[in-house]
Amino acid sequence: MRNALRVPLALAALAVAVLLPVAAGPFWTGLLTQMYVFGLLALSVDLLLGHAGLFSLCHASFFAVSAYTTAILQVRHAVPTALAAPAGLLAGTLLGLVFGFAVRTRGVYFILITIAFGYVVWGVAHRWSSFTGGDNGVTNVPFPDVGAVRVESHTEYYYLVLAVVLLCALGYRLLVASPFGLTLRGIRASETRMRSLGYHSGLHLYAAFVVSAALASLAGVLYVYYNRFVNPVAASFPISVEAALMAIIGGTGTIVGPFIGSMIILWLRNWVSSFFELYASVMGLVFIAAVLWAPQGVVGLVGRLRARLAGAGSG
Amino acid sequence: MTSSAILQAINGTSLAALLFLLASGFTLTFGLMRVVNMAHGAYYLLGGYIGLTIAERTGSFALAIVGGGAAVVALGYLIDRFLIRHTGENHLAQVLLTVGVAFVIGDVSLAIWGGDSLKVPTPVFLRGAMELPGGLVYPRYRFVLILFGVCVGAALWLLYRKTQIGAVVRAGVDDREQVSATGINVDRLFVLVSALASFLAGMAGVVGGAFLTLYPGADWEILVVALVVVIVGGLGSLGGAMLGALIVGLLDAYGRWLLPEFSYFVLFGPMAVLLLVRPRGIFGRES
Repeated sequence: MRNALRVPLALAALAVAVLLPVAAGPFWTGLLTQMYVFGLLALSVDLLLGHAGLFSLCHASFFAVSAYTTAILQVRHAVPTALAAPAGLLAGTLLGLVFGFAVRTRGVYFILITIAFGYVVWGVAHRWSSFTGGDNGVTNVPFPDVGAVRVESHTEYYYLVLAVVLLCALGYRLLVASPFGLTLRGIRASETRMRSLGYHSGLHLYAAFVVSAALASLAGVLYVYYNRFVNPVAASFPISVEAALMAIIGGTGTIVGPFIGSMIILWLRNWVSSFFELYASVMGLVFIAAVLWAPQGVVGLVGRLRARLAGAGSG
Repeated sequence: MTSSAILQAINGTSLAALLFLLASGFTLTFGLMRVVNMAHGAYYLLGGYIGLTIAERTGSFALAIVGGGAAVVALGYLIDRFLIRHTGENHLAQVLLTVGVAFVIGDVSLAIWGGDSLKVPTPVFLRGAMELPGGLVYPRYRFVLILFGVCVGAALWLLYRKTQIGAVVRAGVDDREQVSATGINVDRLFVLVSALASFLAGMAGVVGGAFLTLYPGADWEILVVALVVVIVGGLGSLGGAMLGALIVGLLDAYGRWLLPEFSYFVLFGPMAVLLLVRPRGIFGRES
């Protein structure tokens, strides 16, 4: 039953995603674009969290460095999108190569070091105002324009993001199902055992970290063309934790989970901040509630529900 | 040039004193209870704000320190007892949960004390500058802060190394089950150490708020620097927190002086070296 439902469900979701801008209007189109972009960021965090068992809290760094690089090239040096976007992706990935050394540590040390790394990037974005524009950041980023693909409206950009995200999801699926993905999950289950089987666990984790940073950088490029500006907020700690929270709320180790989490969090933020000033408190309470009551996320809840229904049906 | 270099050394040492107050609590809670409490920065800020209000109402700096610390002890106990206790030894859950707690504390503080930078008023005898040998002039407050930090450090060290409670705590860091099996009430010990850590954080907020000022975001800024202290020194080690605070404090002072735009980058240095040479910190042990 499970597999039989999967294809129609996916097709239905795709149809809804394609038709939504027509039906829902500009506000929802914008919010959904944002949901996809942050879902991609959450997915990048989840490659480490849900498969390799590493909890990174510096992914806002890759996101922001690529966004800044793209924005600065495009706005200040009039570099075309065809070069500025890949340059952003490259810059974020290179930072991933440096920060990747964090995989020499595990557990709490890994968490704490990535927090500190992330803070360094925020600090540079915030302080080095002659280059990054300080707290104002870089503004007036145009829509992307790559030869044949010329985006001229938010609706068009929505479809571009949707296409990129779908491609990433497919690639991600192949990656986690590959021997590489299996090895990562093996390391998470028992690193010593994988080592004694001859796997170089450190190298695998490092590679996973870099791939994850590249994915976060891609989200950063998509973000800067959506947002049309970038400031130090993009590099800030709350972005990193929220991305992790999205993955956890949606369900780690899955592909739809991070996107569901992103939709829940961003919808909640939009809804709450429209009538309540203490938005950050509500967010904090969501963190607490997620840890105490839904450690498996929405996907986990659905799975449990389905198992119970199946159990009731057969027994 | 040399006199600025000397002044930066004193600046760095006084920052180190403050960082030690925060990092020692963090590292002891982790060492004994295996709890990562990311709300430590929020405890710092809240303690500072409460101390500020006390100092403004009563005019007593000493009362502000004690009051700020005590208020955080009460809050910390509740958070420990009703929230953190439920996470067991899952560090990921602890980090998320305590980050959530920190968001709530920071946000509520913003609603109460507003978004401006506030400075805890210091007593008259701590204000102004003092002359150092060699004709250097330096703010008296920061000088006294160094002495204060040394006294707290010495007291903690004596407590940790020379008293029975300290011996039990050290034993608990090494092997909790074994200590529990000898009939010592480990739970009570946890409450005690966590209260001490909360007090140190709240007190640090008052002491730090008198020269670094208090503002929204100060909680995370100081926490991250304290985390670097802990990472460099080695989690769970009191001596590591002392040495780490000194290294980070001095690097920060010289970084701000020599490379103002990249002062955060300076923190990156010791961590990078450490990752390559000693991933568990100077005094860190293999778990």
